[in-house]
Amino acid sequence: MNSLRVARAAIRARPSAFRAPLQRRTYADVAPDKIQLSLALPHQAIYKSQDVVQVNFAAESGDMGVLANHVPSIEQLKPGLVEVIEEAGGSKQFFLSGGFATVQPGSVLSINAVEGYPLEDFSAEAVRNQISEAQKIAQGSGSEQDIAEAKIELEVLESLQAVLK
Amino acid sequence: MAFAWKAAGITYNRYLAVAARVVRRSLKEDKRLAAERRGEMSEMRFAKWEGGKQGDHKDLETANAKALAENAGQQSQ
Repeated sequence: MNSLRVARAAIRARPSAFRAPLQRRTYADVAPDKIQLSLALPHQAIYKSQDVVQVNFAAESGDMGVLANHVPSIEQLKPGLVEVIEEAGGSKQFFLSGGFATVQPGSVLSINAVEGYPLEDFSAEAVRNQISEAQKIAQGSGSEQDIAEAKIELEVLESLQAVLK
Repeated sequence: MAFAWKAAGITYNRYLAVAARVVRRSLKEDKRLAAERRGEMSEMRFAKWEGGKQGDHKDLETANAKALAENAGQQSQ
């Protein structure tokens, strides 16, 4: 009888033991919270479920910064920069050609794109040459599709040129 | 959201392919050669299943080009 009472007291005691650290939590304790990032291309995984602090990217609905415990959402990416702030404090920048970012519940972020490279892999000269070529096509008298494609290229190139400066 | 390329009959798939192609061409020489050797989506194949039977394997690139031509036809009508 006595041992039963002790066991019951132990069961009751446990939840409060769990609650105790939460009550002592201040905003400084939130800092270790991380977001688990997967950044994948069809041919390569740049990040594979790696814990990072923050991810900034340009979505069609606007520029976003994603921290831990972000509200779940699906965002279409603009061709543009993705900045990953890593645990050590350093940040890495990649240029993605376009795709989707999925913020999943529980601080999990998946970014899928077709092409993505670190900024230092790009050649400013190649970008400049392509801009003048694409402008010629966009203003020329080609088919509607050629002009539309040249405009897509211009959008990507201008975004690339802006971040390379 | 309205995209200008949609009005020209370009699919989202095609839009991504064009954007990816221009990104590959903007790389420094060594990276660009490696990326272009890897190829576009030519390795991607699909088959349509109908009535429990698998259809022919189709190349995504040629299927995209066909869809583009069909969309363009609808736009001009």
